[in-house]
Amino acid sequence: MNLIKLFILMVPFYLFLTGCYDKTELEYQAYVVALGVDKGEGDNTFKFTYQIANPETGTAIGGGSSNEPASEIITVEGNDFLTATTTANASVSKKMTLDHTKVLVVSEEVARSDNFLGLMQTASRTTQIRRQVQIIVSKENARDFIKDNKPQLETRPHKYYQLMLERSTETGIVPESDIHRFFQLTEGDADLFLAMYTTATVEKTKNNGTEDEYKAGEIPKKGGNPAEFMGSAVFKEGKMIDVLDGQNTRLALIMDNTLEIDDLLSTYQDPVKEDYKIAGDFSKKSPTKVKIDYRKDVKTTIDVTVPFSFEVLAIPSLVPYSQDEKLREKLKASIEKSLEKKANKLIEKAQKEYGSDPFYWSLYIRNEFASIPDYEKADWNKKIWPNAEVNVDFQMSRLEFGKMVNDSQLNEVRD
Amino acid sequence: MLRFLKNNLKNSSKEDNEKYPSIAKNLDKNVKQLNKMFSSDKNSDFASREFVAQYSNNKINIFYYSTIVNGDKLYTGIIQPLLENVGETLKNVVTLEAIEELSTYEDVIEHINSGYVIIFEDTLDKAFAIDVAQFQHRGIEKSQNESVIKGPKEAFTEALGVNVSLLRKRFHDKQLINESLKVGERSKLEVNLLYVEDLVNNDVLKDVKKRINDIKSDNVRNVEMLEQFLEERPYSIVPSILYTERPDKAATYIEDGYIVILMDNSSACLIVPINFWAFFQSPEDRYLRFLYGNFTRLIRFIAFFITVFISAIYIGVTNYHSEMIPPDLLLAITAARERVPFPLVFEVLLMEIAFELIREAGIRIPNPLGPTIGIVGALILGQAAVDANIISPIVVIIVALSGLTSFAVSDVSMNYSVRLSKYIFITASAWFGMFSLTGAFIVWISYLSSLKSFGVPFFSPVTPTYKSPGNNLFRKALKNEIWRPGNIKPKDIKKKQTE
Repeated sequence: MNLIKLFILMVPFYLFLTGCYDKTELEYQAYVVALGVDKGEGDNTFKFTYQIANPETGTAIGGGSSNEPASEIITVEGNDFLTATTTANASVSKKMTLDHTKVLVVSEEVARSDNFLGLMQTASRTTQIRRQVQIIVSKENARDFIKDNKPQLETRPHKYYQLMLERSTETGIVPESDIHRFFQLTEGDADLFLAMYTTATVEKTKNNGTEDEYKAGEIPKKGGNPAEFMGSAVFKEGKMIDVLDGQNTRLALIMDNTLEIDDLLSTYQDPVKEDYKIAGDFSKKSPTKVKIDYRKDVKTTIDVTVPFSFEVLAIPSLVPYSQDEKLREKLKASIEKSLEKKANKLIEKAQKEYGSDPFYWSLYIRNEFASIPDYEKADWNKKIWPNAEVNVDFQMSRLEFGKMVNDSQLNEVRD
Repeated sequence: MLRFLKNNLKNSSKEDNEKYPSIAKNLDKNVKQLNKMFSSDKNSDFASREFVAQYSNNKINIFYYSTIVNGDKLYTGIIQPLLENVGETLKNVVTLEAIEELSTYEDVIEHINSGYVIIFEDTLDKAFAIDVAQFQHRGIEKSQNESVIKGPKEAFTEALGVNVSLLRKRFHDKQLINESLKVGERSKLEVNLLYVEDLVNNDVLKDVKKRINDIKSDNVRNVEMLEQFLEERPYSIVPSILYTERPDKAATYIEDGYIVILMDNSSACLIVPINFWAFFQSPEDRYLRFLYGNFTRLIRFIAFFITVFISAIYIGVTNYHSEMIPPDLLLAITAARERVPFPLVFEVLLMEIAFELIREAGIRIPNPLGPTIGIVGALILGQAAVDANIISPIVVIIVALSGLTSFAVSDVSMNYSVRLSKYIFITASAWFGMFSLTGAFIVWISYLSSLKSFGVPFFSPVTPTYKSPGNNLFRKALKNEIWRPGNIKPKDIKKKQTE
């Protein structure tokens, strides 16, 4: 009896034998904030760039020395994200952890290669890389992007990425493109995955664009950080095929119910004085309605209704839209039409050129099928989507004119 | 050998009890016996006086301890009437309120010790005892350890009669019984049980009485010690009896069918049976309006959680789950720790123990030296230790937080169990992180829910669920308190008479 009691009492002590497994003090780890992937020297190898945050930068406590740089950037050749960290440890003094990685920067070259999907498999397998890590496609080499990306105000890189990604996805000029969505769309074998498109080297600028008709690297700007987030890289079946500009990215996001845009300020042509533009805040309060009429062997029709409200922010032409019912109607019709025109153009491009849609619309046809094999047999990408008849209808439910209804009377101001 | 000693002891104590003869009719014999028993030649405050009673012309001898009786009362109530008044019997002559007749020396001894005057009269084989006790005690003061802003300020004091009076003042009911028991083998002290006859659960009452009668200790001086004799699990980490110095709190419990235990030498009472929730409640929660009272309750439970878990979670998260920390905080902690030479666990323990030291020293330090604690504690341990890179500033925040919040658990016993539990959890999370912390918590909570206080489950009436006033984690509006706590099974469960 006593022996049994003693034995039971001893059981908790077995735990001591294994104690503290996996324990790491915080200061023994190097936190990789950004991870870059470039093509390597070999056929199937890559160059991995790790941007390691320096904890002592920008903190008052502990009195870190202010001369140290905010981050350390190191590039090594390797097979995958994780094993390459070992190589990097040849010169990094701490254990490299990818737990806090914010972005995965992929050079356009790698993204367009067949190897990309294979590389990404590591990300789905390890627990270290979070599914929320955003995939960013850089026009140049990922190493150059990470190196040249020198924000002036947010010196600490993790903060920069956190804020930058948050704001740019809010405005919709780049899509949210986390690894989770990448796998979701790629393995769904339908629809296009949009990844953020970025660059830190400005080659030629485009001078006739409106606020969002740019791709990264085309924006005419002076000063600031060379890195630009604009537009999206289009991935089909795990491989990059094209680049959309900011405006088309925004359109795709408006019509996609799985992603959100909070802040969509843009300009539209003034329907009365055509030299001018009207600025407004587009907001989508309720989800886009997608109705798919699918019948086997008959052309599928897809009816898309986008309800939105519009708040006019600026009328530089000083046309009194707010006063006149007819002008208001005209404005409304013109904005709806212009959006529909742009959307139709994008859809046409997606049907003819891409052979898939960037709106994640295959979601709405899945309930037509009894089983996954049935759905896969129907083949959204090859059969249904390219031949479908898509009707887009933008419906403005409300038109607002801000807090001031009247504009200044030009002739009274300048008398 | 041991058995021999034991038997010997048993025998000697038996003899002790039985050696007194019965009270004799001859006064001189009695006087001699009494003087011998109380060693009157050495005992300087043992007084006796002999005189002839007017009413019977018999010799009379009175005995008492001069230090514990009221001299005026003794003179005007006993001596003067006996010397001057005429009457049939002694009871008619003495003007004081109650006279007891005693027939054995055991009773005589006990009464003298309790401040009675014992009167022996020649030709009578019995003694008379009259209560003229005047034990010295403090007046009624403000509650020191359970202070409230809104609510009565009176606290119990070290006098049984005063304490009972404070309770009777708050609860006018003919059913409020003040039952008296004796405790202690050598020094017999009075223990009073206060309860409402038609509410209290008889099983619990019987249990309490049995436990008090079973105490075989020579001397139980006060309720603080009585508490430990009554407890079912003296080694347990949590208390099972509520201790309070507030009569209003005690009255609230009496009203609900609980039993309040009072003793002469304590400025507090014990309340049984009790549950987990009661240790976090202050009477002020119910004096404040519904919303305000519940707000304080919420704050107190948050404080409880922080006290128990903050250090453990900090250790667990930083050592094992750094991915859980937001990057800004992570880098800040890392930067702060870069120059600290110790492992994080050690760092936290160092500060926790330092805080316990400050607290202990703060209680024991003589009042004039009090301010030193603040200077030493705040400056040296806080500021200087950080500047010297011995600990990181974040640990100071964590430990200060856990120390500060521990004061919100105001019950002395629960406060200790919370602080001890904290160390259990710190050890656990230093071991395997959140995984073992969760494990330790499960074991801890299972242990707590397995406990019973006088047969009442510790987490009742929440789990297991009973009808109750709903006064546990939060409280209901007073007019919605319809039931008495069902977990103690009172005789009348309905508190509010509804139509």
